[in-house]
Amino acid sequence: MHSIEEEFGNQLDLALESNGLTPLPEDRAALLKAFSTGREQAALVFSVAEARYEEPDLIFSASLS
Amino acid sequence: MTAPDVVAPEEGALSSALTIADAQTALRDGTLTATELLREAYATADAVDETLGIYLSRFDETAQAAAAAIDAAFAAGEDPGPLAGIPLGIKDIISTTEGETTAQSLVLDRAWGAGVGDAVVVSRLRAAGAVITGKLTTMEYATGVPDPAKPFPIPRNPWNTDYWTGGSSSGTGNGVAAGAILGGLGTDTGGSIRIPSAFCGITGLKATFGRVPKSGCVPLGYSLDNIGPMARSARDCAIMLNALAGYDASDACAVEVPTEDYLAGLDGDLSGLTIGLDRLLGKAPTRDPAVDAALDAVVDVLTGLGATVVDVELPLWQELNAATRITSRSEAFAYHAPDLRSRWGDYFSATRTGVGAAIAFTGADYVQAQRVRRVGQKAVASLFETVDLIITPTSSVAGWKIDELDSMADRFGAMHTGYWNALGNPALALPMGFSGQPRAGGLPLSLQIIGRPFTESLVLRAGDAYQRVTDWHVLTPAAADRPAAAVAS
Repeated sequence: MHSIEEEFGNQLDLALESNGLTPLPEDRAALLKAFSTGREQAALVFSVAEARYEEPDLIFSASLS
Repeated sequence: MTAPDVVAPEEGALSSALTIADAQTALRDGTLTATELLREAYATADAVDETLGIYLSRFDETAQAAAAAIDAAFAAGEDPGPLAGIPLGIKDIISTTEGETTAQSLVLDRAWGAGVGDAVVVSRLRAAGAVITGKLTTMEYATGVPDPAKPFPIPRNPWNTDYWTGGSSSGTGNGVAAGAILGGLGTDTGGSIRIPSAFCGITGLKATFGRVPKSGCVPLGYSLDNIGPMARSARDCAIMLNALAGYDASDACAVEVPTEDYLAGLDGDLSGLTIGLDRLLGKAPTRDPAVDAALDAVVDVLTGLGATVVDVELPLWQELNAATRITSRSEAFAYHAPDLRSRWGDYFSATRTGVGAAIAFTGADYVQAQRVRRVGQKAVASLFETVDLIITPTSSVAGWKIDELDSMADRFGAMHTGYWNALGNPALALPMGFSGQPRAGGLPLSLQIIGRPFTESLVLRAGDAYQRVTDWHVLTPAAADRPAAAVAS
């Protein structure tokens, strides 16, 4: 059984590799924290159920005028 | 509300207390020349820049020539424009004909700015007669926090130099507060005009998304980026917005909505307006108790000006802030991915880890974030059917010490600006008090005034009305003081 930290660490490593990024060792802690926060943010936007039926404008400002 | 005794400028610190509106009058009645005003602004910069980190590059020669041309025009009885002779600085992610555009980064190809020349906004300021003084500090590519390991100035807050200016329009914030410029351009993707305006005690406007063309600016998040004015007062922001606003085909996000004379409605009267207040209690990891006392005083002032203030709760607060972050990071990563792959270590630490962390997001996350923005627009439009304006604190804290910025990632929740980037509404940040004693280490607090899309006139009218009866925006920090002898030279 992996801890959440280990799970995010594995996901981070895969994402770094697939995006061709090779960060400095001292950046790992900050990246891991930002990565886990990012997944929380993604969960937050998917919690807005009614957004499923919206069709946003390709050019964002078009919806303002 | 009563401000503490207004701190009169020290002799020789004329420009630190001068507004653009004041300077317009003095230049036209002949009591001040553009050359004198520029000399004073540069003298202030000479005295404080090493400590505060305002400029990345200065355009002394071309600025002096521009000021001389303005003086010649006035002498000939001409009107060289509404910003004639006003010294303004430009955040160094916006291209200018003079000098390099660096984005305060080792990574940006210097040929980019050379190929652009003046951004549309810079051309418009020059056409209005402004004297462009130089390029101002930013955070690298307008994101993150300073990196002492990189060869760039670290911007410090003139109210307390142990503290950061906020970012990313840092040099515009501390430059205006210190009197090194009378105004300038910032950019705002998640609060980068409003946060340094808040922390430095000045006034800054993020107009409606699409109102001010952003072509000629290094992008961060193209669907969130705004260029806007930062100055001492709402009136000064209106003067600058009159020059900046308007459609230009070079920006695919620019909107063809007619502009207004943003000065015309500044009558000091808020009678009949209903203003919704969301104190954003419980929405930040830390909160300075002085914020609540300042908001109480704001309510008294606005009520005294004829407005009715009612409590409101902004919908989808956390969700829209998340949408801003997902959008900003994803759009920034799309721009930076090639350089992050090849030059990771050349980026600032906070830039590479912040933008690089966009790999946490999927394509579906980005699309859902755009859908949430649309839901949020509709929800806030419904709220605006019951109120004319909304006010919140710009930030729940007055600032952070520079030596604590490494841990600042946890504190972004204290800044209440990114919500409005997700939605696009105009938002004005303006000073509303202090945490602690001004000129004794205390730091400014800031109010945010938000309107419906394209109602900059009303937002500025409310800000101007507030500033007609309060003094916070004309206080000057001790760091702006300089000996009288420095002026005479």
